[in-house]
Amino acid sequence: MSFPRSRISVLAFIVFLTMPLAAAFAQQLEYERPVQAAPTEESIGEGYVTPKVQYPKPRSLWWEITDVVLLAAALGLGAWIVLVRRSRRGIVVLTIACLAYFGFFREGCVCPIGSIQNVIVALVDPNYAMPYVVIAIFLLPLVAALFFGRVFCGGVCPLGGIQELVLLKPIEVPRRLDRALGALKYVYLALAIWFAVQPAVDRDFIICRFDPFVGLFRWAGPAHMLMIGAALLLLGFFIGRPYCRYLCPYGVLLSWVSRISWTGVTITPDNELDCGLCAEACPYGAIEKMRAVRSSCLSCARCYHSCPRHRVVFEGMQEEAVSES
Amino acid sequence: MKKKPTRREVLGHAARGATLLGLGGVGAALVTKTHKVMGWQLDPAKCVNSRLGATGVEVCELCSTECVEPLSAVRAVNEFSKCGRCYICPAYFNIKSAINEEGLPSEKLCPRDAIERKPIGWIDPYDPANNFYEYTIDETKCNGCGRCVMACKEPAGLSSIRLEVRYDACLDCNRCSIAIACPDDAYDLVPVEPA
Repeated sequence: MSFPRSRISVLAFIVFLTMPLAAAFAQQLEYERPVQAAPTEESIGEGYVTPKVQYPKPRSLWWEITDVVLLAAALGLGAWIVLVRRSRRGIVVLTIACLAYFGFFREGCVCPIGSIQNVIVALVDPNYAMPYVVIAIFLLPLVAALFFGRVFCGGVCPLGGIQELVLLKPIEVPRRLDRALGALKYVYLALAIWFAVQPAVDRDFIICRFDPFVGLFRWAGPAHMLMIGAALLLLGFFIGRPYCRYLCPYGVLLSWVSRISWTGVTITPDNELDCGLCAEACPYGAIEKMRAVRSSCLSCARCYHSCPRHRVVFEGMQEEAVSES
Repeated sequence: MKKKPTRREVLGHAARGATLLGLGGVGAALVTKTHKVMGWQLDPAKCVNSRLGATGVEVCELCSTECVEPLSAVRAVNEFSKCGRCYICPAYFNIKSAINEEGLPSEKLCPRDAIERKPIGWIDPYDPANNFYEYTIDETKCNGCGRCVMACKEPAGLSSIRLEVRYDACLDCNRCSIAIACPDDAYDLVPVEPA
């Protein structure tokens, strides 16, 4: 036996002897370290091999690539459902699926709304490293909007999805109030950019910090944000998607781009009835003069669902059945 | 015969083309910024729980409470090459608790029972105090509270335990909420090895 081992033994033995004494007197152990340095593999003996330290596992790029692929697929599917199938039911299914994946499973991160700030920071700060995934997540919904309108809002965005699903009794917001509140999102976007262009120490990511629904997705978060999220959802029972229409800064970009989109939601299936049921059905005030306004249409397909002609043309309903109802 | 496009259609195509080019330009500008992957990590030299010469400070535990995830992405890590393999590990046992019939403290320090203790090497069953013990941290239980890190500090221990962020559990928030709360500014974005 080597020398250090025996010295350790003696020290440890002393500690061992004093233990019952300490217990008897104070019920507290005066701990004295028996080892002054880490034992080596040889002193431990029996062919002991020091195990590998638990190093931080590398970031799994896999999930992030899956996110991008699923986002692209969901955007394509959403465009097909809204523009070709014109199916409200299809959009609801897609909304639930995307809310489950991007919202509750991936916990609302990474999202295009917050990525605005990363893009701004990357453009102004030469030291900031931008992940590829975030670039893709930022650009994909914009490209989709350029071709098909705001299909991201309609069925893919988890923040929109959670509001879409709680909208049970929509009431119409007076147009003037709607316009006035709509200006808030420009202010929010400007603030987000302002805080993002600050030097690194003062930089803040307010879109992420004041994301009202991410706390619900994670089931954790600051109490005040959870309360704001719950309040917005309660409001969302009656007012269609308050966050999307009045606050979402990414919605600003999408509405700009979708203004010149290649195609988009067009209500008329064949001959128009001029009944105005579609405008009544739209909870977002996006139908003006019987025409969908591309910049504010959120591609939810509610108008199709309400249209009697649409049922004849797209759902194979008999004309008699329509005239009876 | 192909219909002649209207002025409106031509302008629409031009606007879309221009926007697409613009988005492509932004994308290209951003791709030049992707030189490395960054992740939040904690500097043990700054952390009060692991910093030497800062004994007698309350364990801060903010790493376990401030993360946006219900189970924090921070874990305690035992550097085995530095671990003394003590009989009575001050990070495993609550050394202030009453002593049981085996002569060991009756309580464990870890509130989540995340540390495993097993004798290693040449084992003498009649002389347990002279055996070496290996302490392995179960990363599925640990939430990075740092009590063990604090207890293993010198002179009581050999400072073999430190706190680390697990990148696979970290959500990579733009502003890490632990970093905001950390009293020692021990959190920073560091380059991360990609998978």
